[in-house]
This record gives sequence, structure tokens and C-alpha cells, in this order.
Amino acid sequence: MTSRTTARVAAFAAGAAALAFALAGCSGGSGSTNGAGSSAASKPVSGGNLTFAISSENGCIDPQQVGNNDDIAIARQTVASLTSQDPKTGEIKPWLASSWKVNADASSFTFTLRTGTTYADGTPIDAESVKENFAGIQALGAKATLGSTYLSGLKDVKVIDPQTVEIDFSKPSAQFLQATSTFTLGLVSNASTKLSVADRCAGKFAGSGPFTVKSFTPAQQAVLVKRDGYDWGPSTNSHTGEAYLDSVTFKVVPEASTLTGSLSSGQIDASADVQATDLPQFDGNGFWVRNRTNPGVVYNLYPNAKNPALADEKVRQAISKAIDRSAVTKLLTKWDKPAKSVLSSSTPYWSDQSSLLTQDVSGAKKLLEDDGWKLGSDGVREKGGKKLSFTLVYWQPTSDQLQLVQQELKAVGIELQLKQTTIADATATNDGTQALSWGNLTRADPDVVRTVFSARGTQNNNHRAAEAVDDVLDLQAATTDKAARQKLVDQAAKTLITEAWSIPVFQLSTTIAASDKVHDLKFEASSRLDFYDTWLSK
Amino acid sequence: MLRAAPVKYVARRLLQGVFVLWAAYTLSFLILFTLPGDAATVAAAGGGDASTVDPKLVEQLRHEYGLDQPLWLQYLHALGKALRGDFGSNPQTGQPALHEVTQVLPNTLGLAAAALVLAVVVGFLLAVASTFPRAAWLRQALGALPPLGAAVPVFWIGLLLLQWFSFHLRWFPSLGDEGFRSLVLPAVTLAVPTGAYIAQLLSRSLRLTLGRPYIEQVRAKGAGEARVHFAHALRNAVLPTLTMVGVLIGNLLAGTVVTETVFSRTGVGRLVVQAVGDRDLPVVQVVVVFAALVFVVSSLAVDLVYPLIDRRIVLGRAAATA
Amino acid sequence: MSELILNERFTDGSAENTGHAEERPARASGFSRALRGAVTRPGLVISVLVIALVIVWALAPSLFAHHDPLTGNVAERLQAPSAQHIFGTDNLGRDLWARVVYGSAQSLAATFLAVVLALLVGSILGLLAGFLRGWVDDVIMRVMDVVLAIPTVLLSLAIITALGFGTINVAVAVGFASAASFARVMRSEVITISTALYVEAARASGVRWYTVLRRHVLPNSFGPVLSLSALEFGTAVLAISSLSFLGFGAPPPAPEWGALISEGRNYLATSWWLTTFPGLIIVAVVLAANRVSRAFEKNGATR
Repeated sequence: MTSRTTARVAAFAAGAAALAFALAGCSGGSGSTNGAGSSAASKPVSGGNLTFAISSENGCIDPQQVGNNDDIAIARQTVASLTSQDPKTGEIKPWLASSWKVNADASSFTFTLRTGTTYADGTPIDAESVKENFAGIQALGAKATLGSTYLSGLKDVKVIDPQTVEIDFSKPSAQFLQATSTFTLGLVSNASTKLSVADRCAGKFAGSGPFTVKSFTPAQQAVLVKRDGYDWGPSTNSHTGEAYLDSVTFKVVPEASTLTGSLSSGQIDASADVQATDLPQFDGNGFWVRNRTNPGVVYNLYPNAKNPALADEKVRQAISKAIDRSAVTKLLTKWDKPAKSVLSSSTPYWSDQSSLLTQDVSGAKKLLEDDGWKLGSDGVREKGGKKLSFTLVYWQPTSDQLQLVQQELKAVGIELQLKQTTIADATATNDGTQALSWGNLTRADPDVVRTVFSARGTQNNNHRAAEAVDDVLDLQAATTDKAARQKLVDQAAKTLITEAWSIPVFQLSTTIAASDKVHDLKFEASSRLDFYDTWLSK
Repeated sequence: MLRAAPVKYVARRLLQGVFVLWAAYTLSFLILFTLPGDAATVAAAGGGDASTVDPKLVEQLRHEYGLDQPLWLQYLHALGKALRGDFGSNPQTGQPALHEVTQVLPNTLGLAAAALVLAVVVGFLLAVASTFPRAAWLRQALGALPPLGAAVPVFWIGLLLLQWFSFHLRWFPSLGDEGFRSLVLPAVTLAVPTGAYIAQLLSRSLRLTLGRPYIEQVRAKGAGEARVHFAHALRNAVLPTLTMVGVLIGNLLAGTVVTETVFSRTGVGRLVVQAVGDRDLPVVQVVVVFAALVFVVSSLAVDLVYPLIDRRIVLGRAAATA
Repeated sequence: MSELILNERFTDGSAENTGHAEERPARASGFSRALRGAVTRPGLVISVLVIALVIVWALAPSLFAHHDPLTGNVAERLQAPSAQHIFGTDNLGRDLWARVVYGSAQSLAATFLAVVLALLVGSILGLLAGFLRGWVDDVIMRVMDVVLAIPTVLLSLAIITALGFGTINVAVAVGFASAASFARVMRSEVITISTALYVEAARASGVRWYTVLRRHVLPNSFGPVLSLSALEFGTAVLAISSLSFLGFGAPPPAPEWGALISEGRNYLATSWWLTTFPGLIIVAVVLAANRVSRAFEKNGATR
């Protein structure tokens, strides 16, 4: 369908693709480390155009508005951020800000900006423009899906001097420092913050990053060209000067098989949306494959507290027990992992809770049986004339995984009706009464759990009233001490899993498949694609 | 050629065309505005990871879009704007719908033109081939092709062609907006049903024509079978086919919906599929009205051309109304 | 796409105007004739058998397929056709043959719904237009002209945008979008018959309009409408599978035919059977329906 907003995560089985066509050659390539295209031996050269295929484009490439992985791949390259997050350690490092101070309860942040940086329209990147950017994001309101949560509780932005800006929150907001490293809080020029929503979406903004938008045709293609004179690359990259590539062309190729065919025939150079079944043919044979788990909240089922059956903790727990998480990952790439907590294993402050997430079919049946849900003649349990049946509306490209979950639930007497639609349709028809919902959220900070689950937040995917766990979530947001925050995050994750408000299934990952002439196409800390260090061999 | 009050006739036909366009606009408006969710909710959702939207924001947007007004008022308002070329904008990106469609229209027209040429050529050849050869088995074998072509789902033809000519034999690229080579497979895909349609229409009318007395007279005068076919029968057999040009081109347009999706081509067809998924109502409406426009224009063109070919027809008296 | 199967008596509403009115066949119910003729026409026999077979599949799928169409073994996924799985297996290890056989119920149900809807809506409008004439006729037929001016698939897409996704919605959309051709046929039948001398005589002698309808109009229009229904059956199968293919139809795990091809297309580079076999079934059914339609028409014509 049209809106694939996550990387393609469909199926893979070792050897399954080894027949049928000449191009389907399997190799035992390494994958998660650098493939054949690694640059270890050679020195980067400048020049060339890289053509990168994405499976969808939803008509907007404004970094401060986009929320969809394919659009983010374009938008990320056009802006620099105040800080940069180290993909290996999760540490926050300088970028546009050379240093910063955070007060004790994480409610006030003071950034010192480096000098000599400019926006693509030539204006300087100064404290005033940071203020304008944050005001612009607040003005976007709900259109800035992610930004509005990062800036929630923002009280004041003070320009201390042209290179110093202080950002104050009305309540502690430990997540904010990591948020400044994201594309969402990436900076655009003052004039750009005042453009209309449509113009910003259409790429008419002047950014601060290593690439600028040359042309953009929604749902078709975007061409980025390198920014001459850019020399403020962050320490998390391997160089600081101009980008090596002259240009990057993003082509929208919605059909999975067409995408595979174009990559293998050289019509495109790389993609992160190759169907899992087709990946083996790109592991070796003049191609390389690299995979990274997306940090953040894993793919979860969210039970709705307003649903009478799901308000019952035992029913929720039975659903969680019925699922065989390792079977689901068999449908994915060989690098993909089952969910081991609410957070994915590449998220800072993650800890392994997999002992709470093992499949227990008889346990699930017993829970339901003891709770009064008796098997009906059609294999679906019922109690007081009500069937144990739920409808799940989803738009993510995870049909196969959900169909497997559906089979597993059926085995314990729970009926799951799946309804696949598009993101626009799903949101337009979601009136908050749907029994279950499904989704993930990528972010390299544990506060993402609060974003998704907090009963005090705007999402509140469980539609719960506030409980003890919400206090824990608020507390972790106000805690800067690492050990203390770790404890709180663990406590929240355990509670959400044992009370089955979160029913984690698998960890989303992003897989790059590229031709050997492409080097150093990298993941940033949030598994977003980074073309800054990328170069093409001649 | 135009013997009988052509100006009056053309004016009447133009008026009818305008009526069809208005009716198509109204019909699509009525259909689309019975929606359960509306543009405001879509706009508020913004296409992000978030799964719930703020109801207050939705209300505010509803007011901005005028969705809280009575339907007839919304309709008059929308119609007035449409007359000025403003069909509304994409709720998420703010792009004007008309612009979105016209931007990708050349791609679709190129594909449709290529497919039309192919369909006409192959359709004619098949029609003649199914009546011309002496061997009955050959006539029957060739005659069986058009019904087969009409029974095959367009998307399936596209997938089979991709599978064989792109993935297996690697003759043509699988991705395609650029160059002649990338046009081949989509054009063939799109031409199959249209070609089959033309062939069926034409061979049927050719058989009828060949059975007429005047053809017997021509034969009796000693004309060769080729001359009978091409100089006499074909000319008259084409006429009923011509009246179907409007439907034919409309179907070609409809075929691009699937063809462009299968081949990941940019164009109106793929745009409308995306618009249905995104609930981008203005684009759906523009495409529906555009389809009606194509039908009106091509039917009118046929009506005007018809008397040039068939001298028996006098404009305004017995002209086709297809 | 759905107008693309030819039957110009229906699609070409202007037949009377192009100088070929004399080709309009006399009509007949012609049932027995159809049966007698079948013996000498093997193509027709095969067509009827194909239709009968898929109907039996829909009614009693378990007689034809032993595997569960909805539950698969992940370890056996994406297997090529073999003795165990004659159509191969899909991405979840489900048997494709079982899915095709079980899927016929949903595909046929949607198709019948579409055709019946088109028939009812179209016939009623056609009857009204033909009987009442005057401004009612004008309004109805002008609206039908507009509906015919918009390709069925585009009109269906607009209706689906309004109704939402799902098999029933798709069937309803296709049904409404195809009603216009029934309306035209029914109207022209009504007009032809009610202007026939014996009907005028009956009316003049005080026979009520509904009696005319029951005794003369309906029996006589039975043949053409039946033939058109068979034709529309084929076009509806195509239209519904197209819309399912685009992702607007049956939700997973329903094995509707168009949805099967739609799912299979993601594995085009590695698993050819997933798109090929369901496609062949669709082609066979549509061909058969068209053949049957032509037989109805011919039988009407030769009397």
C-alpha cells in the first residue's frame, strides 16, 4: 500500500529464495558488520550522484514535520542539529552547539553555539534563530508530530547573547538533550520558520545541513545537492567538511519486487526498503547489506482500557502469553530480534525483560479458563454471551507478522480480526474505541516509553486513567543521574509488561542494501540514514 | 461536409458536455462527502507515528475548512471554487489538487498514447487476421485471442511481464519513468485489454459487413479478397468502432490505475490510488471530473469526424450520441 | 477495466443510431435451446464446468483441499509447487491451493453481490425510465450517461474512498458503478415491448401497467438481462480482483483471489507461483463467464 512509514519488515527464511531466478543467489555474507563495500582500505573520493530508493513518500520533507522513516531519510540530510548522538554509546556530542549546561532537575538547558555556521540562505545560525525555530515548531502544533512531544512543557527560550541560548521548561525534561540531536529539532533559517506549512513540506526551506533540496516532486522523487562550504560536521562522523556526494536522488518505488529488480540491475544504488525475502541476493554478489535495530519502543499491541474485556488484566496477560515472539522473527531478516522489553535493545537504558515475555500456551488458556472465558463451538472463547474477539486496524507493512499473531491467539481461543488500511484512513477512523492498536516509535531515548504509554500524555495509546506507573514515567523524565534513571526505566518497563499494557512482539530494524560502489552509507544513533560520509567509488 | 446547421449542433453538444462535467462533479461530491472521517482528522494526524489526534485541533481545522457548514452550502462553495480551477488541496501537504494532477498528467498521457497506438495496430491486425485467412482453424485460433486478452486481469499481465522480461530475461528495466525502454512493458500491459476490445469490436463488425449484399456485389465483380477487405469492408466496419472511442479512452485512463501501480510509474493512476489511501478527496474528485472531460472531448471529436468518413450521416440528424 | 469485455449490444448504447438497428436480435428465453446446443459446443461445456467447479469449491471447499487455508507452518514457507503442495506455499507456509479453493467463496460472494446490486439498481432505474418516460426518463438516463462516462474503476475508487476498505464495500462500489448498463438495457427492452402492437392493444383494453410488466416486459427482457448478467459477472470478477490487488479489498488472512495476487507480488523475484496460479484461476473464470454470456446472447439471437 501507499504509506509504508517504517522500513520494510517482511519475511525472510534462510534458503527460501535460492530458486526460481538467475539473480537469486544466496551467500553467507556477514551483514551486520561492514559488507564488501566497506571503506576500510580505500580513501573517500568526492563526486557523483547516488540514487536511493524509498518505498513511500507522503508529500512532506520538512524535517520539523515528518514522522515517517522514508521521508526522514530525505529530511535528515538537510539539517544540522544542536547536538549529535553517538550511535555506539548513545552519548550526546557537540554539533551546532559546542557545549551546554543542564541544571540539576533537567528543566533548564543552556547551549553555546559554535561560530561561523550559516543556513543555506546565508544567514548565521545564532541564538535568535534557535528561538525562532522552537517557536516555529510550537506554531506547527500537531503537524510537528514528534517535535510537539519533545517541546512539551517548554516555558521560555532566552537569547543570552548571539552565541548563547537558554531553554527553560516548566517541569523537568531529561529527554530534551537527546531531542536536540534529532532531525525534528534540526535548524532551518529564520525566514523558513515563517513559511506556510505547504511550502515547508515542499522543501522550500533553507536548512543547516550538508545537503540542500534541489527539487522535490511529492510521491515521486527528491534530489538533494551538497552544500558548498559546509564544514561543521559532528565528531560522530568521520569527516567535518563538505559531503562527498555531489547529489543524492531519492526515488519512490512502492512495489517491493520492482525495487529489488532496480537494485540488482543498477538502476538504483541503494535502498533501506528491500523486501526481507530478497535480501540474500544482495549479501555478496557485488552488493552489501547492513542492519541495525531501531531504538525506541518495539512493535507492540496496545490494549484499550476502555474495552471491557481488555480492562481485565488476565485477558491482556493471556494475549501476551499466547505469542511466540521468536516464531514471528522467523518472518523477518536473519538479524531481526524478538522483543525483549518495551524498549528495543539498541535504546539507551534498555534492559532484558525477556523472561517476562516467553510463550506459555497452557498458561494463557488457564488464565482465560479461570477467568470464566469458556471455549465456544467455533473455537472462540466467550463469557456471558460476549465473544473474546478483537479488531485490529493497522497500516504498517507488518501483515505477515500480525497474521502469525492472529494464528497464535486463535490457538488459545482469542479471535483477532485484522484490518489493514492506510495511515490516513487509520487515523481518520480511529475514534478511540478500537480494542487493540499496533505500532512502534523510534527514538534513542527511554523517554519514548512515556510518549507512548503515559496516561498524562497526548498519545495515551492504552486510553488509561493515570496510575502508579505514570508517576514512575514522569520521574524518569526528571532524573539525570544515570543509575537512578535506569532503575526507574526498568521499573516502568516491568510494570507495563506484567500488567500487559504493553504486549511487545518484535524489534523493528532497518536494513541497507547497496551496491559495492557505495561506501559508508551509515546509520545515525536512531537508525536514521546518514549520507554525509557516503562516497562512491569510480 | 457539415451540411446541416453544424454551429447549432456543435453548440448543443458542447452544452451537453458541460452538463456531463457538472454532473460528474456533483456526483463525485455527493459520493465523497458521505465520508465517516474527514479531511480535518487527516490533516491533524499529519502522517506521523502518532496514532491519536487531538480532538480540539480537529474541531479547529474543521472550522477552517468549512466542514461544519451544511452540506448544500459546502457544495455551492466548492462548486464556485472549482469553476475557478480550485478543487481544494491535499489535507496533509496543502498542495492544490489540480496542480498535483496536472503535474503528473504528461506521464500518463505518454503512456496512454503509446498504449493506444499499440492497441489500435494490434487490434486491427487481429480483427483482419480473424476474418482474412482461408484456413478456418487459423481464423478461429486468431479469433480466440481477443476474448482471452479481455479476460486477463491487467495487473496480472503486468506482473507476468515483469517477472519474465525484467527479472528473468532482463530485457527491460523494472522501474520506469525514463526513456523508451522503460515504457515498453507498461504500454504493452495497458494495450492488452484495449487491443482486445478493439479487435472484438472490429472483427464482429467486419464479419457483419462482409456478409452484406454489396460486398457480394464487389466480389461478383471479381475483386480480390484483399481488395474486398481493405478497400470496402474495413472502411465501413470501422464506423461502429469509432463511436466507442470515448469509452475506449476512458478505459485506457482507468487502466493506468493498475499499470502505473505495478510498474511504479509516476502518473495520474498511481496518484489516485495514493489519494484513495490518503483520503485526499480533492485529488480523487479532480481525476473523476477529468475522466468525464476526456470522455466528453473524445466523444465530441468523434461526432465531428464521423460525417467525414460516413457520408450517410448528417450532423444534427442522426449523429451518434455515444 | 470492466467495460472492456465486449458485448456491443450493451456497451454500444447508440446501436440504433449507427445504422445497425436491424442487427438487434429477437429475444428468447432459450434455456432448453442452450442445453441442446451445448452438446455440440465443447468450449461452452468447459465454460459451464469451470463455473460449476468454482461454485462447488465455494460451497464445499474441504472436499477439494486438505490443508488449512488460514494456518500455515512457518517452517514450510515459500515452497515451490510439489506433490504435497500442488500450488506451493506462501510466506507464512500456508498451502496456496487451499487458499485458492477456500478463497472462491469470498470472491464469488463479492461478485454475486456486485452483479445482483447492479442488476437490481439498474433494472429498477431502467424500468422507471422506460415506463414513465418524460422528465423521469430524461433525468435517469442523463445520470446514467454520466455514470457511463466515468470509467467503472475510477467511480468505484471514489465510492471506496467514501465507504472505506473491505470486500463488501468493494463489491458495493463495483455494483453501483456497473448499474448503468443494466439500466440502459432494461429501458430499451421496456420501450421496445411496450410499443409493440400487442402490448398497446393489451393496454388499450384496460390491462394494468403491472400486469403488462409481469406478463410481457419481464419475461421478454429475461434473455438480454441474463446474458448481460453473465457478462457483468466476468467484469465484476476482474474489477473486484483489481481493487483487491490495489489493497482496498479483503483484509488478511482472507484468501480472496485478488488479495492472493496482491500478497504474492512482493515475492515476484523469488516465488513465481504465488502470483501465477491465482491469476490463472481468475482468467479461467472470466473467460468462462464471457463464453456463457455469448451463448445466452446467441440463443436469443437465433430463434
